[in-house]
Amino acid sequence: MGLELNKLSEQVNKMGTTLASRSADIAARLPKARATLEKITNNDPILETKIERALSLHWTGAIPTSEPVHAVFPCPKHPERANIVAADGSQVYPDRHGIAMYYLINTGSIVFRYGLDEAPVCSSHPHLFYEDHDLYPNEALIPSFLVNARRDIAELRELAQIATREVKTAPTLLMLDNGLLLYLGLQTKEYRQSDEILSEYLETLSDIESTDACIAGVIDRPRTANVLRLLRLYDIDNATFDTDEIRTLGDYSQLTDRMLFSTLKPGERSAIFVNASPQNLGKYLSLGQKIMFYYVNAGTKEQPVILRIEIPEWVANQPEQLSLTHAGIVEQARFGNGFPYVLIRSHELAVVTWTERGHLEQMVAGSMRRSGISAVISRKAQGKQWTNSAKRRYGQ
Amino acid sequence: MLRSDTTGFTFGCLLPEPEVPLFGDFVKAPAQQGLTEIIGVIHNIVIEDDLFVRQLIAAPDLPDAYIQDQRRNRQIPIEVSVLSVGYSSGNTMIQGLPPQPPVTLDYIKRCSINDMIAFTDRQDYLALILNSKETPVDELIVAALQRASGARPIEDRALFLIQAGKELARLLSDDLSKLDSILRRIQVNT
Repeated sequence: MGLELNKLSEQVNKMGTTLASRSADIAARLPKARATLEKITNNDPILETKIERALSLHWTGAIPTSEPVHAVFPCPKHPERANIVAADGSQVYPDRHGIAMYYLINTGSIVFRYGLDEAPVCSSHPHLFYEDHDLYPNEALIPSFLVNARRDIAELRELAQIATREVKTAPTLLMLDNGLLLYLGLQTKEYRQSDEILSEYLETLSDIESTDACIAGVIDRPRTANVLRLLRLYDIDNATFDTDEIRTLGDYSQLTDRMLFSTLKPGERSAIFVNASPQNLGKYLSLGQKIMFYYVNAGTKEQPVILRIEIPEWVANQPEQLSLTHAGIVEQARFGNGFPYVLIRSHELAVVTWTERGHLEQMVAGSMRRSGISAVISRKAQGKQWTNSAKRRYGQ
Repeated sequence: MLRSDTTGFTFGCLLPEPEVPLFGDFVKAPAQQGLTEIIGVIHNIVIEDDLFVRQLIAAPDLPDAYIQDQRRNRQIPIEVSVLSVGYSSGNTMIQGLPPQPPVTLDYIKRCSINDMIAFTDRQDYLALILNSKETPVDELIVAALQRASGARPIEDRALFLIQAGKELARLLSDDLSKLDSILRRIQVNT
């Protein structure tokens, strides 16, 4: 039957009206949020005590640094010569309806030598995983979040390798198209692999630190509200607040940090904050890789684009490295419509299209047949192929 | 090679390739598991729309490195359509539609000078081009004859073009304006 769009028109109209009214509602809450941000001062002992208590309650807000929380920093001058590097990855998940059990991780990278009028160096590296220990790390099929985590590590390793080579020629900025806090699902205890993967990830971050390159994770259209949680905490009068009080955003409900910082002018960045997530203040901090973040307007006056930039503490502490993340991202975004050009290109180099996936399946099927194994997809997958390829509807 | 039928085939290639195909070029593709090679003439080249390039065009003061990246590194596919005009079987060149089209993912090569001279030794392929509905046929005939003539030593070109002109006069006896348009552009000095 497919999607009958005519049956959706009324719902779509109502949705449009609801979205408009919600948007007006949310906008009305912004002035108070901005006013609270202006009120917060550094070294406020009451706020510091509240933060301490909140951290003991697994609060996930933003911890201020030495920079005033409402400070704004203009875009610094870009070095005349710098290497701007990006890596991205994509994956093909194991498919129990496919011809064979395997998964694929493909990483793409680009080295843009700013200041030299030469074509950037591009590469991509596909890796197929089909051994039992790859597919069944805990005697069960590898879950998608672990495949994603392996992809994230592959991206980071690619950057580490490139950094070792490139830092010899100029200051080097490495960029990733996501945050630097590795998402490991629910991190349930049965997945001891989560711990192993996190250790591997943090070791690779340390390797990058030792190369003298700097690294930044770039998040477009961030939905996070860490700074708003700080504002909420500031507003709470009760010194013995509990988890419930800090879990919600109160007057700032449905706002995001991106909205809060949408007043940044083109190229400007916000103050730097520490991400208070337990993961960050646990293993990341203990291994010297505490993650901090700032917001930057990488767009124009007419079309602001607020990006969230995550950096390790060792980048934030080195003014030249911090400046390079700021200037490098803003400069690259000039040619990517508000998003760094090198990240667009590294995605393009990494992405596995449906057509390429089909060709890979054909290659795998050919290899299996040559080895005397039958290569057939499940009946369900076959049915989907028949019906999805060309939807037809007769009568009715 | 992307898709094919008896009358022609379409192949893809990358923009930065040093030998970008040209309209009217003679190319060949393997068929029947290598038993035959299909000879064709390129009749259309399509560069697909690219949204990324569109937004870059609007960017002010685009540094050269970005232009180099787009030109040298990006896999912008160009689709090249070929009209089948004959095939070779062993040492024999046959002018006419091939018994089978080439298979997808086969590699397409540009015809060598010797291939072009051998294939265009007879003029029967001109009828196939004239009967094609795919393209402005007079433009394609002019381009193909220029390639075939250019493959020959200078002293042989005049005779080759005169013979081609005679064949065209026979085929286009009922369309003198088209004949005139072609003959004007395949002068011996081309």
